[in-house]
Amino acid sequence: MSTSKRIAGTFAIPVIAAVILEAVCLCSGQNIITNMKSFDNFVVYTAIVMITTMALSINLNSGRFDFSLGSMASLAAVTGAKLSYALLGGGKGSAAAMLVITIIAGIVLGLVSGILYVALRLPPIITSLGVTLIYEGILYTVTGGKYVMTEVQNPSMAAFAGTWIYAAVIIVIVLAFIIFLFDCTAFGYDYNALKSGQKVAVNTGIREIPNAVICYGICGGLMGIVGFLSAARNTNINGGQLNFGSIAIMFTAFLPMFIGSYISRYSNEKLGYLLAAVCMSLLNSTFAVFSNKITASMQSIINALLLVVFLIYLNNENLFVRIFSSRKSRIGE
Amino acid sequence: MKKGMRKLLNIALTGSMVLGTAAAGSMPVLADDTIKIGVLVADVSGEEAQGFRAYYEDYIAENYDVEFDYTEALADAAGEKAAIEKFVSQGCQAIISLSSSDRAMQIETCEEYGVYYAIASGVLDAEQYETYKGYEYFAGQVGPSNETEFEAGKAMGEYYKEQGVTSAALYGAFIPNPMHVYRTAGVIAGLGDTYGGASDMNEIAGQIFADQRVDTEKVEGGVEIAAYLQGYGDTTTDELNAAIQKNPEVFLSVGMATTFFTQTLNTAGIQFSDIDSFTEANGAAIKDGKLTYLAGKYSSSIGPVFALVKNAVDGNVIRDAEGNAPSFSQSYLVATDGASFDAYYVSDNGDSPIYSKEVLDTVIGSDVTYEAVQTLVEAN
Repeated sequence: MSTSKRIAGTFAIPVIAAVILEAVCLCSGQNIITNMKSFDNFVVYTAIVMITTMALSINLNSGRFDFSLGSMASLAAVTGAKLSYALLGGGKGSAAAMLVITIIAGIVLGLVSGILYVALRLPPIITSLGVTLIYEGILYTVTGGKYVMTEVQNPSMAAFAGTWIYAAVIIVIVLAFIIFLFDCTAFGYDYNALKSGQKVAVNTGIREIPNAVICYGICGGLMGIVGFLSAARNTNINGGQLNFGSIAIMFTAFLPMFIGSYISRYSNEKLGYLLAAVCMSLLNSTFAVFSNKITASMQSIINALLLVVFLIYLNNENLFVRIFSSRKSRIGE
Repeated sequence: MKKGMRKLLNIALTGSMVLGTAAAGSMPVLADDTIKIGVLVADVSGEEAQGFRAYYEDYIAENYDVEFDYTEALADAAGEKAAIEKFVSQGCQAIISLSSSDRAMQIETCEEYGVYYAIASGVLDAEQYETYKGYEYFAGQVGPSNETEFEAGKAMGEYYKEQGVTSAALYGAFIPNPMHVYRTAGVIAGLGDTYGGASDMNEIAGQIFADQRVDTEKVEGGVEIAAYLQGYGDTTTDELNAAIQKNPEVFLSVGMATTFFTQTLNTAGIQFSDIDSFTEANGAAIKDGKLTYLAGKYSSSIGPVFALVKNAVDGNVIRDAEGNAPSFSQSYLVATDGASFDAYYVSDNGDSPIYSKEVLDTVIGSDVTYEAVQTLVEAN
């Protein structure tokens, strides 16, 4: 594939999405990004979607469906919020301390989830549902079902959420780390080999169990970052997410994951996830422009429709290409 | 090794179940004369809800032989019914309701099970009260009436209209909760706007009930509603950010804004208002933040309801001259700066609430009358 085709293929979806959405906004005399505040929101939301998508895809691409991502994010964030508040009382450096503790807590929760998966040898979808209930139960017990607010409402967290710069730095670091880890290390080579052909990879001596557990740990760490970013953005953490209430966090990543996978035909898969997250953030910003007309439930319906339409396209791509090619050749005749 | 690990996990899970069962069976045993009251709540996080809970659990339970048992955040009528049934099975003698998904059903359920029921911090609408005022186990209601809620919202709207505001964002809290519907209707009227051409309380409220939200295209008048949002969920932050992006001069809230949005609105530099309560966090918001108008209740305002319930359980079911359950209306106090906030907050704080034990004792007893409770409520 030529370089120009790669570049065109990589940026086609984000550019088309930006042009269409900006045109929609211009029709009502507005823009997708209206001011600095909306740009801050745009970047923070992009970071949340990109990292969630990466966390979802790491296990899902290996056939491990993980429902527990949302509960990991919430429980890790509550742990980070409570401990950082106990250490610093909401003072200077609270945001940085919470971020570090939340990532560590997320890794631990991810590792526990991974160890349970390999120990119980149940289908991952069953194990992850159980883990979700356990983590949600712990979350509820710790918070009493209340929103955690005092611990995350302080000048340090406000400063973090008040600018796009920190979120942009996190995007760059996470993207670079994930690309390095999965594309340039022995662990990554093993992961890709297992993803492509598990039986063959195991027969060649690749150790599947440690690789899977580490994957869960990485997902947990990533969801810790998501939990932190969400806490900074929402200025609270919902401690009352019982009965799979935390699963919604994971579902925000499905459409960008499929878009990212499509973009990966032309470039790096992880870069695809970033560009897919940009698309989702553009859509989110457009919803903000039309917030008085498009309610939250309508937004959910639009997101679901887009997912269905994209999946229909992916599953019938060859058919569409054939139809398009035959029309083109008829016009040529 | 692997089998051993699985066995270990099984033993751990079985052990935790056994311990859980044992713990459930070793609940503390109450003294025979301890009154057990179940409290229905829809909100467990809000400033007002926490203030109320602290008053009952930290002050009333310390000073009277009573134990309060709280629900989780109740989201709907089914949850309220299940909670009442659970309280009854646990031996509660009375239910105090701070949850309003379906109060008629709550009264019916309590009547069915023979437990006393009272409404705190709110009242039934007039039609419902007429239906249920004669129920044997309905101990009464103390709180702002729908008219009071409307007037509280209206006063808030008028305050900002007088300030010259021309553009506002509006948070309808948990519409179609009647309390929030009437407050929102009041805000629209107070701003001098009409809703669907209506300016009358019942007409505006009726339309909001029908719409289940505020349709900004139906608001007409001098003050533009630039953005509207309600409820709290996964999309609320997006909706709040969208509202902020529209650069409103003020963010008007009819409840819970101080709980959820204080930091975001402070950071955005947008002044805001709320109908909530006089708590420490709200004091910080009005003194150091952008909260510029607070219509609130004080935390011990739910004291008289406790008195009605305790009297009923002790055998003195208070009734008015016609033999009906008492219904007392409470109004809101308004603070627009730190000084006016402190005037109410300092007088109702921690160990020295406005409805202290000394005050409540004047309306708790076998010879207490309807008039005595009415006089006390009206005086505070």
